[in-house]
Amino acid sequence: MEVKSRMRRTASVAMVALLGFGLVACSAGEADADLNPDEVSGEISLLTPIFEGSPGQDLLEDELLPQFYEEYPNVKVNVDYTTYGNLNEKLTTAVVSGLVPDVMLMGVGWIEAFADKGVLADLGELGLSEADLKESYTDEIVEAGMWDGNVYAVPIMLDTRFGVARMDILKEAGYDSPPSSWDELIEIAEATTVRSGNGSLERAGFDMMSLDARQAFETILFSAGGELFNEDATAPAFNSDEGVAALGLMADMVNKYKVEDIGFTSTDDIVNPLINGRAAMGIAHNNLWTQAMEADSTVLDNLEPFVIEGEASGMFFGGTLATVANNSKNPQAARALLEFLSSPDAALAANEQRGNVPALTELLDSDYVQSNRFVQFAMENLDVAQREGGPSQWLEVRGDFAPAVQGALLGQKTPQEALDDLAALVQTAIDR
Amino acid sequence: MTTTERHPIRGAEAAAAAKQASPSTAPKKRKRISAAEKKRRRAGWLMITPSVIHVGLWTLIPVIATFYLSFTDYGIFAAPKWIWFDNYVEMFNDAVFMQSIGNTIWYTFWTVPVSMAVAVVVAVLLNQGLKLQKFYRTAFFLPQVTATVAIAMVWLWIFNPQYGLLNAMLETIGLPGQAWLVDPKWALPAVILVGAWQGIGIKMLIYIAALQNIDESLYEAASLDGASSIRKFFSITVPMLKPATFFVFIISIIGAFQVFDQIYVLTDGGPANATTMMTYEVYRSAFQEFRMGMASAQSVVLFAFLLFVTLISRRVTKEED
Repeated sequence: MEVKSRMRRTASVAMVALLGFGLVACSAGEADADLNPDEVSGEISLLTPIFEGSPGQDLLEDELLPQFYEEYPNVKVNVDYTTYGNLNEKLTTAVVSGLVPDVMLMGVGWIEAFADKGVLADLGELGLSEADLKESYTDEIVEAGMWDGNVYAVPIMLDTRFGVARMDILKEAGYDSPPSSWDELIEIAEATTVRSGNGSLERAGFDMMSLDARQAFETILFSAGGELFNEDATAPAFNSDEGVAALGLMADMVNKYKVEDIGFTSTDDIVNPLINGRAAMGIAHNNLWTQAMEADSTVLDNLEPFVIEGEASGMFFGGTLATVANNSKNPQAARALLEFLSSPDAALAANEQRGNVPALTELLDSDYVQSNRFVQFAMENLDVAQREGGPSQWLEVRGDFAPAVQGALLGQKTPQEALDDLAALVQTAIDR
Repeated sequence: MTTTERHPIRGAEAAAAAKQASPSTAPKKRKRISAAEKKRRRAGWLMITPSVIHVGLWTLIPVIATFYLSFTDYGIFAAPKWIWFDNYVEMFNDAVFMQSIGNTIWYTFWTVPVSMAVAVVVAVLLNQGLKLQKFYRTAFFLPQVTATVAIAMVWLWIFNPQYGLLNAMLETIGLPGQAWLVDPKWALPAVILVGAWQGIGIKMLIYIAALQNIDESLYEAASLDGASSIRKFFSITVPMLKPATFFVFIISIIGAFQVFDQIYVLTDGGPANATTMMTYEVYRSAFQEFRMGMASAQSVVLFAFLLFVTLISRRVTKEED
């Protein structure tokens, strides 16, 4: 697949001049025509939480940036690599010092805060409109890059979370398909949970612990038909009946149905429990497919993705979006890089390297997507996927979700108490 | 040079001598020594200037700025806004921050004495001229010079409920394994264990240096009087180590109150805030919530704690100091 992909990329180098602006070329033709590569020049900085690590750096510096320089020979890009774990610190110090990178890649849920504070450039002024973007992306994905009716970011890749079942284990237990309701989820989870004679857990029926507690809760919340915030993002809505039911389900899975024990898996586990058979079902990231290919490709045929169905369809998406600094000294060069990174070829290569889901709808037919069942599944179900974020204070409060969820799972608080306490914290932050 | 400088005497005597000195004669004396002394002082100032600049720029100004910002609402995107004591009021009404104070004190209460006790025993053992002494000293000191993140990764494996070394050892003796870092009951003790273990090396090194300064004749005299090894340890070694103990105690408390990286890597403050510490809350306020004013106020409280503990320690150990 890698070789094939490389050949395809190599063959498409000649088309980069056209595809480099693919996003805008098919949407904002006027603005694109304004950008004359010979007239665009300057030294710009790129802050990126993707492309980190050796394979990512190789891809960016040896393959993608040379293509960009071919198109824009007068632009020089200085790359500052980081991880999502350290992105906050990087951005905070950058803003305080006034040295904001010209192009910043950041996550879904981040745009609101930085757009609200005037750190990001309104891309509408550079020729990108909401309507244009919605021709290339689903509505929900475009809205992840918007604030106050304006476009501030263009999506590059998505990270999705959905249910995954080990069909070999389910079939052993007499089930031919993944669960299609919460009741079935509980039933199958109980049937596939294995404990030893002394009661210690050997296989979890439904794993929620190897995923960040906030994101696991959000996925279940969406399947309950709940929302994180009200429509205008001025008040929390996750402590609604749907939210309480979602957290209640998670707590019951641990304490009542006992299909997973606290600590049985964790986000630090090197091998996902669905790969080594320590879990029959679970909520997983789309790159589980890539992990399985590297760890044990024999399980690939047994991994079946499913949307968690409750009162609604529950699927979560985060992702990486490209933004331009409002105070960039070379806005045209920054815009050129943004357009290049979000173009079909560059975005596809970045997604392939990380095993992620391309945001561009047209890439559904690409070889990469068609060869990766989880990515394909995610793209086919993006219409039901929901994102986190909402108010500009999201980054301030998102860290409070995990302790609240953990408190309920540990039985320290009821789901209602945990969510009400969290909602009070969040409301205080919004009102501040 | 004055008489007092030729024959150095302690502070109290120097003060008395200074008081007795006639005001009229004092300037005369200073004039007499001025040329050489001024040159020497100039050289002294010149030599400490880089250090003064460094401390001023990177310590004094940030400290003053922290105090100022603690009274402001500063969210990095806009200029600080003076809000008097609002941050402090909010902080002391924040259950999580109060929990972090409790956790920090509990962590300090266990890591400092435990690691000091182990360090002094190890230091005494490694000061006996054992075989492979250098190897053991290096081995005990290694955690001190190893990145905490790397150490924490090893401990993550040791504490892993499924594959971890600790649970495997417990199972061999018939005890049930625990979810060390994800069970609120065990998470803080697990973090304390790592903190105590990591702190042994530097304390051991200081104690070894102090042990080597104890006059051997004290032990010889005690031996002649028939004192046992344990008696010699408690009657000679421990008292003679008091100055070193004071120093180790202070740096250990400061280090324990500043614990951050192992929390960041091992538990992220969880589960359910069970291991969050004051420094971790400062980090969360500053870099996750972008509330620099609140983070500054929390830092001031942390500073006040450290100042208080240090002053108490100095008072308690005044004679030894």
